[in-house]
Amino acid sequence: MSRAVLAALALAVAVPAHAQSLDQRIAAYRHRVELLEAQNAVEDLQATYGYYFDKGLWDQAAALFIPNGSFEYGQRGVYIGQAHIQRAMLLFGPQGLAAGHLNNHMMLQPIVTIADDGMTAKGRWQGMVMLNQPGQNGVWGVGVYENEYVKQRGVWKISRLHFYVTAETDYDAGWLKSAIPMEGPSALFPPDKPPSEVYRAFPGVYIPPFDYKHPVTGKSLADIPQPPDDVVGRK
Amino acid sequence: MVRTGFPLFFRGRAARLRSAQRALVPAGWCRASRDALHHHHPQPPPLKRRGLAALLFTLIAAPAVAQTTPEQRLDALDKRITRLEDMNQVEKVQRAYGYFVDKGQWTQLSELFADDATLEIGGKGLFLGKKRVLEYMQTAFGKDGPKEGVLANHMQFQPIVDISPDGKTAWVRSRAFVMSVGGWGLPLYEDEFVKEGGVWKFKRESGPFTMYSSWKGWGHDALNNTWPDKFDPPPDLPPSTVYLTYPAYWIVPFHYPNPVTGKPFPVEPVGAYQAPPGTPQQAASLKVGRLADGTQPIAQPPRD
Repeated sequence: MSRAVLAALALAVAVPAHAQSLDQRIAAYRHRVELLEAQNAVEDLQATYGYYFDKGLWDQAAALFIPNGSFEYGQRGVYIGQAHIQRAMLLFGPQGLAAGHLNNHMMLQPIVTIADDGMTAKGRWQGMVMLNQPGQNGVWGVGVYENEYVKQRGVWKISRLHFYVTAETDYDAGWLKSAIPMEGPSALFPPDKPPSEVYRAFPGVYIPPFDYKHPVTGKSLADIPQPPDDVVGRK
Repeated sequence: MVRTGFPLFFRGRAARLRSAQRALVPAGWCRASRDALHHHHPQPPPLKRRGLAALLFTLIAAPAVAQTTPEQRLDALDKRITRLEDMNQVEKVQRAYGYFVDKGQWTQLSELFADDATLEIGGKGLFLGKKRVLEYMQTAFGKDGPKEGVLANHMQFQPIVDISPDGKTAWVRSRAFVMSVGGWGLPLYEDEFVKEGGVWKFKRESGPFTMYSSWKGWGHDALNNTWPDKFDPPPDLPPSTVYLTYPAYWIVPFHYPNPVTGKPFPVEPVGAYQAPPGTPQQAASLKVGRLADGTQPIAQPPRD
């Protein structure tokens, strides 16, 4: 009898069938719990990003990204790498929130999808925005995040953050009287790449592509048609 | 289960409504019975007998625990993990509904509903079935897709999810915060979900309004609740409850009990038809949220 067959026999005797199936069940449940924990970890990560960003803690916020992570806000273009991301955030104000500034970026309504292997994730978030600077009127804003995350050495990090500004308006005037356009790429701290998608904020309309599949039909939402835009030239 | 808030003249239709809606509020039985699965809290016996009872309990319970097989323990674990997964998935369906509203994706939105689901928003009345959900959205708000110059964000916040002990039904209390070209709004949801073929879907969406105002804000003006013929299409059934919105209020019954005391939330008679016509209670209810002269402004700011 060959050694392999002996080994197989020994294994069969040592590990009865029902115990094997118990191990398989435990392994499957462990995996499902890990996916649940991953969902919580990603939600915490994004919420923490928001709390840091609110207060101008650019160093802390940039540290949440992987070394070659990317950051894109509206039409400002794409910044790649922690150092560039931290510098890009200076366009929103100095490190540490300056006096009289309000920079609230709320992270709400998450739809987080963890990959089956538990190593990457995607998330869509609703981003309500409240801004102010000294001498200006308050600004209401809203937008959608479509972000990507990766687990490195057991820690979830942001690999790609993309905030699609939907609309911004003057606090008193409202959407019917005020539509604040998005900032373009900065000449001071130019981005590493141009905007990945060209679109207009309100009064224009644009659908940030959905990363997740329809939760009931299971079909991709990638082919939802974009509405036409005469200014951008989208038919 | 008969809703105390049903208008009197609709009471004849209560049976139809009930079968259509499957009881708007399960009055907390779900949470109570769910908890009974895991945490049974019997009343403690009188002090003298407690020692004996504890001893007896130990004698009886110890062999029972020893007899629990690993398979049974794993079955119990599976049930708990499944419940957590279900809660996450139900939240996703509710949130996906909001993202579809934001971008006018009515076809995708209607696909979130079971074939025999119901929809009731504001004071518009009940729409029966997935097809009518789509017809409601496309007739009232136009064809699929966002429209230039229109913002109609219905942001989905603050969900409280409960799953039935058998894992086939779920309930959510949550809210939408509306930021739109028309101003501000606050619908509340008490929704029911059903798991069909392993997939969670809307079984009943009920979204009564709390407050709607122009961009100037709720300190300046407030809109009335909607009503069945405010805009097309007309509903299949009248509203399940007639109630007033801000500056009046209606406490939408909670599907779950107080999480600390465990007691069901008391359902109080509410709404413009809470009491028979001619009674003082009904007369008072007609003045809540109305102007001093008894009139109720329609889609206009209230006067001083």
